[in-house]
Amino acid sequence: MRKLNTFTAVLMPIVETASIFKTYRSGVFKRVTVPALVDVSLSVDSGEIFGLLGPNGAGKTTFIKILLSIVHPTTGGATILGETLGSLKIKEKIGYLPENHRYPQFLTGYQTLHFFGGLSGLTGSALRDRALSLLDLVGLSEWKKVKIKRYSKGMLQRLGLAQALLNDPEILFLDEPTDGVDPVGRKEIRDLLKDLRKQGKTIFLNSHLLSEVEAISDRVAILNKGKVLKVGTVSEITSRALEYELRLDKTVSESLKSLILPHTTSLMVEGTSLIVGVKDQEALNTIIDRVRSEGIHLAGLQERKSTLEESFIELIQAKDQA
Amino acid sequence: MRYFAMFLLTIREAVLRGTLLFYFVVGNCIILFFAFALGLSPDDPSMITFFGNPLTPRNLGNINPIEFILIQVQRSSSSSILLFGVFAVAGLIPSMLEKGTVEVYLSKPLSRGALLLARSFGASAGVALNLLYFAIGVWLVFGLKLGVWNGNFLLSFVAVCASFLLFFSIVAIAGVITKSAGFSIMLAFLYTFFSSALESREMFLFKIWGNETYHSALDVLYYITPQLSSMLENSSRIIGNLPIGPNANQPFDPLPFVYSLLSASALYALSIRYFSKQDY
Repeated sequence: MRKLNTFTAVLMPIVETASIFKTYRSGVFKRVTVPALVDVSLSVDSGEIFGLLGPNGAGKTTFIKILLSIVHPTTGGATILGETLGSLKIKEKIGYLPENHRYPQFLTGYQTLHFFGGLSGLTGSALRDRALSLLDLVGLSEWKKVKIKRYSKGMLQRLGLAQALLNDPEILFLDEPTDGVDPVGRKEIRDLLKDLRKQGKTIFLNSHLLSEVEAISDRVAILNKGKVLKVGTVSEITSRALEYELRLDKTVSESLKSLILPHTTSLMVEGTSLIVGVKDQEALNTIIDRVRSEGIHLAGLQERKSTLEESFIELIQAKDQA
Repeated sequence: MRYFAMFLLTIREAVLRGTLLFYFVVGNCIILFFAFALGLSPDDPSMITFFGNPLTPRNLGNINPIEFILIQVQRSSSSSILLFGVFAVAGLIPSMLEKGTVEVYLSKPLSRGALLLARSFGASAGVALNLLYFAIGVWLVFGLKLGVWNGNFLLSFVAVCASFLLFFSIVAIAGVITKSAGFSIMLAFLYTFFSSALESREMFLFKIWGNETYHSALDVLYYITPQLSSMLENSSRIIGNLPIGPNANQPFDPLPFVYSLLSASALYALSIRYFSKQDY
């Protein structure tokens, strides 16, 4: 059990994976092995939006498919809602929007939801009402009688999201949910996901749009070449090791630089700003004292953070170089 | 209900295929043809007329001419439904396994085995609906215009539908393994020839290969695979026996259906096992 900064309630792990390995075999005699996941152990709490990030081929989709029992792990296992993988009980409580999903083209939007609702176990008026309310939720009510072969990519994506929500799932797995959706539609989907989180749903979000993941995820995991490089909240991943920007009222002289240099791990000057890396808060206070002793006033102090994209690229590049 | 949703969708997908729609149109034309062509002579109500001319088929031995026509209709329609049906529905298993489709199905609370069976039965049911519609149409025409209500005619079409379902086990396993509609269709057609050759192995293949080991191997193959040709041959014998042809006056034999049920069950079980082990 763990406490998240933004939540006061104690959260229970809803998904726990234990050392999952997945190796694909290819070639004529299946002799070529390609590791897709290497020792992936993650824990996701109830009610959080968990972002999965990684370059193409990192293993994000394979990981989600293993949790859904669409792909079988080579070794390792997982529990979802306390059930082991493969249990049909789990699937009654999850929704999934795959990347590049394809539905029967001869169906209308309503018929598509009616069909998949039937597969999810809904029947009668409950199925009809659920399909209609979801079409309304994703803004496709006016298109419900139109065959989906006439739908745009964005509309299909909305329909896919509605399909994933049919059984009112406790966990939602979304693979590139805003792919092909216009900016307004993307914001609507983000808002919808936030609403779902408020309702206590757990959401697995797999997206290559880092800004999107950054905007709504409580925690993220960064995968590269099948390995988990880092897991944490967005602020944990984006914060640099004690780096601060000191905005001064005068330009930085060489004498000031030489005064503060021994107390820093890194030093950069940008106009009237000093960007310093420090070992601890005491070193930061010493630097501020030195600045004041030179008759320079502090106009501002700010902790430096990277964007998720910067942190992501740094992590991937560092790993590749290693 | 979950699997029934897949079953119904597959039927709908099957009957909307162009080839089955074509069969449906042709079937209606044949029903109309019989409706206009057949009649009873006003002078002698026991005399059947064909466009007003008395129907007096020759060399039929003791077979009733109506029975003869019904057998011919049954044989030609079951052969053609095989052709059109396979072409129409052999792609339904691979289409279920396409990327972007199979993931959604597998994320639902459905077992892979039941999903595959619902798809296979739905595909066969789509073909069966088309065939039974035609059979009932012809049966009604013969009943209403000639007063011949031959229940065995309908029963023989039920046997053809069952034969198609058992034969579809070959298409299902080919579809699951290759995920290719084209390959499944090709294999299905090859199998129809293979089945026909195996059925008449004593007359042709045994004469080509004199070796007893080959004969035994062919016998084994005949019994472990769905005996499509024998099932179709026997389904027409439900109506009556033709006094002509290589198997003239043979009685109805249920054993090909029993053997085929066993081999098709084994093939469906293998398909399910393969499907369950695969990553998608």
